[in-house]
Amino acid sequence: MLPYSIREGIANFRRAKFAVFASTSAMSVALVLVGLFALVTFEAQNVSSWLRDRVGEVEVFVDEDASTRQAEALHTRLQTIPAVSTTTFVSREEAQKIFAEEFGEGAEIYDDGPFLPASVRLQLKTSYIHTDSISQMASQIQSFDHVDDVVFDQALLARVQQNVRLVSLAGLVLGAIVILAAIFLVGNTIRLTIYARRLLIRTMKLVGATDAFVRRPFLVEGVLQGLIAGTVASGIVWGLYRLMLRELPDLAISYAFPNAEWALAGGIVVAGVLLGWLGSFFAVRRFIKSVDIH
Amino acid sequence: MISFNNVSVSFDLPNGESRTVVENVSMDLGRSDMAYLIGPTGSGKSTLLRLLYMDRFPDEGVAQIGDYRSDLIDRSEIPYLRRSLGVVFQDFQLLPDRSAYDNVAFALYATGKKRSEVKSRTMKALTRVGLNHKRSNFPHELSGGEQQRVVIARAIANDPWVLLADEPTGNLDPVVADEIQELLVSLHRQGMTLMMATHDYRLVKKYPARTFALMNRQLIEIDPESL
Repeated sequence: MLPYSIREGIANFRRAKFAVFASTSAMSVALVLVGLFALVTFEAQNVSSWLRDRVGEVEVFVDEDASTRQAEALHTRLQTIPAVSTTTFVSREEAQKIFAEEFGEGAEIYDDGPFLPASVRLQLKTSYIHTDSISQMASQIQSFDHVDDVVFDQALLARVQQNVRLVSLAGLVLGAIVILAAIFLVGNTIRLTIYARRLLIRTMKLVGATDAFVRRPFLVEGVLQGLIAGTVASGIVWGLYRLMLRELPDLAISYAFPNAEWALAGGIVVAGVLLGWLGSFFAVRRFIKSVDIH
Repeated sequence: MISFNNVSVSFDLPNGESRTVVENVSMDLGRSDMAYLIGPTGSGKSTLLRLLYMDRFPDEGVAQIGDYRSDLIDRSEIPYLRRSLGVVFQDFQLLPDRSAYDNVAFALYATGKKRSEVKSRTMKALTRVGLNHKRSNFPHELSGGEQQRVVIARAIANDPWVLLADEPTGNLDPVVADEIQELLVSLHRQGMTLMMATHDYRLVKKYPARTFALMNRQLIEIDPESL
């Protein structure tokens, strides 16, 4: 047999259908907003990772005097740097070929033998892509034997970094507004539904129920509402996300976070339960204090 | 026992002024006694009862009911005080979405009683007020007198030693009011302490008991025959 508070919490669904519908709907709307915001945040992180991967490339030019063996040794040494994800060795001949392709017509005037130095292209791990750490690494590599020059697009990297910071800050502010609005909306709706049942609270107090006992069925009800609202909102956000992927498959959030889709869906349900619990807790606590028996 | 010792209570009015309801009042009532609190509307009868179930505290003096004193009680003890007494109001305060049985049972569940105990106590209480046959009816399906009987059943379900009744017959016609009053008096005769606020002097004369009158913020014991 279920404890009284759980039975009451469930029974309130039947007794106060409209109030339950109102607060569950408000919670669902709030959670859809929070879920969509989380989705946008994931996407922003995705784009940021993608951009950083693109600018996180460093090219190490090999000394013209270095032999093939020395160049290969340098290549091997560069591969051991922890920040390096992948390396590509570009020989003098390959560099010449790339130049010819990129220069287009007229490149044949430089066709009297390779004049460009060999190089090693380093693709850095995303977590290491910051102007400071790349500059530090570049000067470290510069001191290696047979290195002529180390080149990376510092200006572009700085710009990307600045923009990512700006977008993150804007996201944070927007997120705080969305979450505050959700809490306000849910808190007020739950308060109204509990206000409608102040007679119940008054009677419970009158017959000698402790504050914790008065609170418990409302908390059970809040958690159940949160669970339903979280599941509904999770379904809506998931559906919208799938719809978006059909049009824009490149925006899959699993690019930067492998389990992001499940984390998002589960997170919305957990947020719903928390929101229902917290909303009910504060609303009923207030009423327990303020409701006079007579 | 019930006592007021030099109790004063005042209320803050919406205009910011303070209104003294009772001033320096004292009285004692022994266990298993019965008493009326009489006085015109707004004289402070309900306020004195509120002091006893500690829904409000005196500005000065001490209100005591059983072992609980208003100046010593901790907030967390108040629910346990209320379990030891029954309270009946004029406006019934029944939960409209529950049957008579559930309204009584609810009071027992709220104090942590087990299901089997709730069932036997609820049936016993409804039988005592003569409403066992209407246990499945909802409040709107019951007459005013029947609703008040359910309230009394709820108040006595926990076997309290004292019953505080605030104008329990105020919303009832004289015939039904007499029936309810007879029920309350019979509970008193079975050993329950009864303190009842009323302005129905007819009932006070018909079922005489110690009578305290609230007049000009003072509490005076009077002879009910003098009413």
